[in-house]
Amino acid sequence: MVKGKSFLIGSGILVAIVILFVCFMGPLDVKALSKTPDETQPIEFRPDIVTFDNMEAFGKLEKTKAIFLHDQHTDALEKKNKDCLVCHKTEDGRMSPKFMRLKDVRREELTKIYCDNCTKCHTETIAAGEKAGPVKCDDCHKEQPLIQSSRVPMGFDKSLHFRHYRAQKNKCDRCHHEYDKKSQKLFYAKGKEGTCRYCHKKEITSDGTEKVISMRFASHLACIDCHQKTEAKQMDAGPVRCGGCHDAQEQLKFEKVKRVPRLKRGQPDNVLIKTGDKKGRIPTMMRVPFSHKAHEEYNDTCRVCHLASLESCATCHPLVGSNKNVKNGKEISLETAFHKRGHQSSCTGCHESKQQDKNCAGCHGFMTNTRQQESSTCLRCHMVPLPERTGELSTSKAAKMARLMPRLWKETFGPIYTVDVPKTVIIKDLVNQYEPVEYPHEKVFDTMVKQLDNSKLARYFHYEDTTLCRGCHHNTPAAGKPPKCANCHGKPFNADYLFRPGIMGSFHQQCIGCHQKMGVEKYLSCTACHKERKKES
Amino acid sequence: MSISRRKFLGWVGAAGLSTTIGKPASAATNKQFAGYPDSFAILHDTTLCVGCRSCETACNKVNDLPQPDKPFTDLSVLETTRRTTTKTFTVVNKYDNPQKSGHPVFYKKQCNHCLEPACASACFVRAFTKTKTGAVVYDASVCVGCRYCMIACPFEIPTYEYDQALTPRIRKCTMCHPRVIEGQLPGCVEACPMEALSFGKREDMIKIARERFRTYPDRYVNHIYGEHEMGGTSWLYVSGAPFKELGMREDLGITPAPELTAGALSSVPIIVGLWPVLLAGIYAVSKRKEKIAQTEQEQAAASALDQDRSEPSQPEEES
Repeated sequence: MVKGKSFLIGSGILVAIVILFVCFMGPLDVKALSKTPDETQPIEFRPDIVTFDNMEAFGKLEKTKAIFLHDQHTDALEKKNKDCLVCHKTEDGRMSPKFMRLKDVRREELTKIYCDNCTKCHTETIAAGEKAGPVKCDDCHKEQPLIQSSRVPMGFDKSLHFRHYRAQKNKCDRCHHEYDKKSQKLFYAKGKEGTCRYCHKKEITSDGTEKVISMRFASHLACIDCHQKTEAKQMDAGPVRCGGCHDAQEQLKFEKVKRVPRLKRGQPDNVLIKTGDKKGRIPTMMRVPFSHKAHEEYNDTCRVCHLASLESCATCHPLVGSNKNVKNGKEISLETAFHKRGHQSSCTGCHESKQQDKNCAGCHGFMTNTRQQESSTCLRCHMVPLPERTGELSTSKAAKMARLMPRLWKETFGPIYTVDVPKTVIIKDLVNQYEPVEYPHEKVFDTMVKQLDNSKLARYFHYEDTTLCRGCHHNTPAAGKPPKCANCHGKPFNADYLFRPGIMGSFHQQCIGCHQKMGVEKYLSCTACHKERKKES
Repeated sequence: MSISRRKFLGWVGAAGLSTTIGKPASAATNKQFAGYPDSFAILHDTTLCVGCRSCETACNKVNDLPQPDKPFTDLSVLETTRRTTTKTFTVVNKYDNPQKSGHPVFYKKQCNHCLEPACASACFVRAFTKTKTGAVVYDASVCVGCRYCMIACPFEIPTYEYDQALTPRIRKCTMCHPRVIEGQLPGCVEACPMEALSFGKREDMIKIARERFRTYPDRYVNHIYGEHEMGGTSWLYVSGAPFKELGMREDLGITPAPELTAGALSSVPIIVGLWPVLLAGIYAVSKRKEKIAQTEQEQAAASALDQDRSEPSQPEEES
């Protein structure tokens, strides 16, 4: 009996200790873990951080990825009058962006290259009594580095392309190349130029025999090499340091060429987009006259539309999309390629995205983006050739096209909106607390027309003189005087017309909704539209 | 047949336990309540609300509430997050829009009028009633002021008139029950210029919400708050921002509050009714047993005594 009692006391003490431990040590532990570096030191952001991630190719990492401050090292070497070759090797007169090697090597070898060379230099510098980087593993492979990357991707826009083109004295072959498999050499093919990313993808790609280096590697190899050599010739050269290209502030300082001349790649000014495929299948829709020249101006790179090559759309996209599980464009039919909603590369997708502009959203924000377009809208692009035009359209010679196009569009961008609109409309459906609203109908209309006139795209699609009116006067036939709002919108919450707002709701939703979307602040107070009603004495 | 005492007690225990476990909790309430048919609901579309406080003004007027310190036209009150009080049955709060900065979201807060109200289930004098119109109404005449309803409400809505020494009441939105039975719209709904509040049959309100999701899929979070929360409420909400961002609880689950307690409460009569009988029985049985044992003992003793007297002991000298 005594034995049992002492056992109970013993276990009771043990339980109490465990509880105490959990209560006090538990939170302490959690606190220690959640301690973020910003509590002690703020995180620094730099554009020149290189994360050594090439080990990832070998599978699971043993340590966290080391980060490397490239520009800091460049500066340090410059001070000692040393150049890049301390860390980078050259091949055929070109410096490799890889560290202390030219080719990819095996895991153990790669580890050795980094660990040995880094620590060796750091140790020597310390021995010389100077400040140097870490020599211990965990000082490079940090769990939570206090420095993080602010690197922004670098893009080669039209302006930058033109500046290079000008500086290289129109020699495209300085950058553009093709690869000859037989001789295993790069060569320049005139008229075949495309964007780098058509071949150089995000990662190394391989067709079984030949590897194509990644975009990241290719750009650092070619750009930096050329910039360095140009600089050596005491000429105006591009950046060679990380921050020069990848710093957001630096990018803003790039000189922008305002009027970039058209690229010369043999592209047509105008195209009659075929709706049939190359096999000569009979197209069912009318062909679409398309101004290639105008669209070049709207976009910064060809890649916006030409996703994979600078060929015509029908080269990759068939009339009937392949149902095989492929990813070469064949799975996407021409119809989808041109009309897919929400995709920047399709005609409809890009045009519809413009409806989100502040000037357009007032009306278009109310329209559902799942709506089916009226079939008459198709004819805006798939134009019916008029009898006298038939002869011209059926021959697609460039010269004839060039003559034809301006005429076609002149006729379609109508000098429209000669509609008679009332100057003001007195809305007195809801006179209660306030006086009737004097709605400046003409002023609103004129503002809308002015904004519409600024956009070629808008002018083209608001082709009837009542198209614009239907932004407000919705569900109304586009003829004659529209009915009053109150004719449809009456008492609210009518179960027979569940989705139809009442008269007060419809006015406020329409007016305020449009003002909100178009950034017109005139909805923040009631008296901006309504005059306070004078009390009858 | 004979059973041991131990076995008997085991059976009784098992029988008692079986009444409290192994059955779904709702079975104890004997019904599945999905709201009164054709009851009304209000749909609050926060994407339409512009934060004008017209609803607050109207609420104040129809409920004859005292005028607030700052007038309703003063929109600066939106800068602080408010809650309902005994003098304001509804408040509009302003929240930052995580998707679109500079375009705040407004959310009107008031009693949600649950289909199966927690306040009503917590109230032991039945001061709360879920009416057929959908409103949860309060009867001050029976209220004892225990404030259990305030603790029970997951939305923290009922408020208590602490400043009334003699006749304190619970105050909250009535969903304008008196107006609705007269065929009028609730004050806030009638006043809303944007029709951000819609009033009608609950099924219709859900239909409207779904239609808006379908028409403007980019504009809404695809969820009707209140359709199922706490078993469903008569106020429904749709929003473009996640409801969590509007200070609305997303952890409530879809079980109505009464159901959470129904199982435990349903076993109360059994425990209260059965256990005294059972314990008394056991007590009686053991008492009786003792009594029998005692009488047997007494009898045995008596008979032994009798025997002793009738058969006098043999003379010792005989051996």
